[in-house]
Amino acid sequence: MIQSENYDFDAIVVGSGISGGWAAKELTEKGLKVLVLERGRDITPGLDYYGEHAPDWKLPYQGKKPRELYENEYPIQSHGYALNEGNRQFWNNDKDNPYVFDAEKPFYWMRADVVGGRSLIWGRQTYRWCEQDFTANATDGHGIPWPIGYRDLAPWYSHVEKFAGISGEALGLDELPDSEFLKPMEMHALEKTIQGRLRKKAPHVHMTIGRVAILSEDHNGRAACHYCGPCDRGCSTGSYFSSHSATLPAARATGNLTLKANAVVERLEYDAQGGRVSAVHVIDSKTGERSAFRARLYFLCASTVGSTQILMNSRSEAFPDGLGNRSGALGHYLMDHVYGVGVTGIFYDDMDRYWFGNRPNGTYIPRFRNLGGQDDDAGFLRGYGYQGAAMRMDWKTGFNKKGFGAELKESLRKPGPWVFHLAGFGEVLPQYNNRMYLDAKKVGRFGIPQVGFDCQWGDNERMIRDDMLEQGEGLMKAAGAVFTVRMEEMGEPGLGIHEMGTARMGDDPAQSVVNAHNQVHGAPNVFVTDGACMTSSSCVNPSLTYMALTARACDYAVKQLAQGRL
Amino acid sequence: MNRREFMQCAALLVSGVAATRISMALSDEQKHYLARANYNRTPANYFNEAQRRTVAAVAETIMPATDTPGAIDAGVPGFIENMVQDWLNNAERAIFDQGLAELMASTQRSYGKSFEMLEPAQQSDCLEALESAASDSAWYDFGNTQRVFVSDAPFICQMKELTIWGFFTSEAGATQVLRYEAMPMTFDGNRELGPDDSSWAGTPY
Repeated sequence: MIQSENYDFDAIVVGSGISGGWAAKELTEKGLKVLVLERGRDITPGLDYYGEHAPDWKLPYQGKKPRELYENEYPIQSHGYALNEGNRQFWNNDKDNPYVFDAEKPFYWMRADVVGGRSLIWGRQTYRWCEQDFTANATDGHGIPWPIGYRDLAPWYSHVEKFAGISGEALGLDELPDSEFLKPMEMHALEKTIQGRLRKKAPHVHMTIGRVAILSEDHNGRAACHYCGPCDRGCSTGSYFSSHSATLPAARATGNLTLKANAVVERLEYDAQGGRVSAVHVIDSKTGERSAFRARLYFLCASTVGSTQILMNSRSEAFPDGLGNRSGALGHYLMDHVYGVGVTGIFYDDMDRYWFGNRPNGTYIPRFRNLGGQDDDAGFLRGYGYQGAAMRMDWKTGFNKKGFGAELKESLRKPGPWVFHLAGFGEVLPQYNNRMYLDAKKVGRFGIPQVGFDCQWGDNERMIRDDMLEQGEGLMKAAGAVFTVRMEEMGEPGLGIHEMGTARMGDDPAQSVVNAHNQVHGAPNVFVTDGACMTSSSCVNPSLTYMALTARACDYAVKQLAQGRL
Repeated sequence: MNRREFMQCAALLVSGVAATRISMALSDEQKHYLARANYNRTPANYFNEAQRRTVAAVAETIMPATDTPGAIDAGVPGFIENMVQDWLNNAERAIFDQGLAELMASTQRSYGKSFEMLEPAQQSDCLEALESAASDSAWYDFGNTQRVFVSDAPFICQMKELTIWGFFTSEAGATQVLRYEAMPMTFDGNRELGPDDSSWAGTPY
């Protein structure tokens, strides 16, 4: 399509994770020549997944995490649940890529540093937003109203789900709209027992198998899951959705994709006369070499914090406070989810039942509080859902018992009682004071100002935590737990790895950074389609929504191009 | 790699059998994959011979060979030496060194023999005594699982933790004492558990 010598590409996509992969696929399939810029190194899918299928005895220290290395080089990433020696190659090295970290008020910025980004190591849970999620801001007055509703996104959810492959069970609930499903994964015996008891004793909740971007059957040339277990090490059969298994191969197949790894985006250059961004400035992370690329369209899909960092660093006379930031909203309204809070129960049911295969998925209880209005007994706004899973205790949960010898060996060899966990994920309100910023005095190794965070959870989040614990304990009793343990402490912001906001969507350019089509106010050829655009946070895992928003924005952008409006 | 080649790699990784021994021709891609997947490291060299013998005997007392392999069969002594050398921090290593020295001295004092020369019942008595003296340690707390290493845990707790971890994550422990299935290909959530069946080894997800 490129017709002008002024352009190197039709579109440039910054980032190759979940959103960037989708932008690459959609734009190349619509005939655009696309350059994807990724700050991380390149890997060969499959061949470089060297943690995949490595049994414990082949891992360093047989799977005990190398503490010294993590303290020195991964002090941030090792705070998350997911870093281990089977997948460390995908994660950001914190020593090489520092940010302004306030130990009194920490924000844990979990990052990948590889082509494919966090799509390689994500949790793969996929839930649609519901209409109430889109109207929440307008209803209770926190944040600004979303300019779009469920109706706008529903066809795009279908579009991305059909391609990605989502396994799950249709429930017909307004609060958790069904996706286009492949067959659901099976529940553990105890989970079915619990589900049955909850139906009788807690009929206001619905317990279902997790909806997950893992193939329960062969789909679009990708093989069904082989149930080896730890997806986060990479999957050479492409059975879970990642940029490598799905979107990048599709983009490559068009012949329209150029992917440049080790390409750190410094800033976008704004041409005040044309009222457009005219170039992206890039630093090669290996050589330090600088270059610039020009295109008609720019898609920022560098992750919530990454994309806003680029906008903030793209200052010009026309935008002295960062590109698209005439509202002053850029960097503000940072959110994550209420995370780390839950209840674990111990069960002596189904003691003669076990499993075969490692199901990389759990169960889900969708939001049941404040549906369609405030519950009488709820002091908090919005709601939460529970992820959960059953497993049996084993030697890993009993190694510190007393005793020695054959008796100890025999007792550790066999499965113990069942445990079932309810892990809350709660909606966080958009607050102006929760923000990221650029530190003018501190720069990273490429001379780019470092990101800093100023973010703390407030009263509503704490009330959600309290309710998660109280309701969770009630559900555990109804489920038949003989003993429960509460996980009371909220994870610090960032640890939910659902960070979103900071370049929020809105109709009013005086209050928002992007419009209803993810187009930056005042820079119409720039689109921000990752988590940065989120105006509120819902309580469901957000990646599926980023996919749908990205595909929708690509469709809009290409139509605008065709009509000569961009 | 095609699916067949990939499954071959998985089989090799799990069996630990060298490809040449089962005369399987590997493609260059498979060789690359397997080379990256093999994390086996050079053996540690931290203990002297006497210490090595005692550590092995303590590990075997904790997890003995029965009708299934024990700690020594599973290579646990080497794992412990590796962990003490590379993984414990200085303070933890000092606890280990001192605890080992005290155990070696006390068996000489009490029995006139080194630990590994004692009768099994005497070995158990020694460890029971250490455990009883350590029983206030936070290491024994309910809920001390899935957590960071208890840094001030006494020698006997360090030995138990390293032995049990090393044992059940070893190839022998995982495949012959527990059960191991790298490539289940299916998930069945309602499999019957017989009274004598072991847990699954490995990382469930």
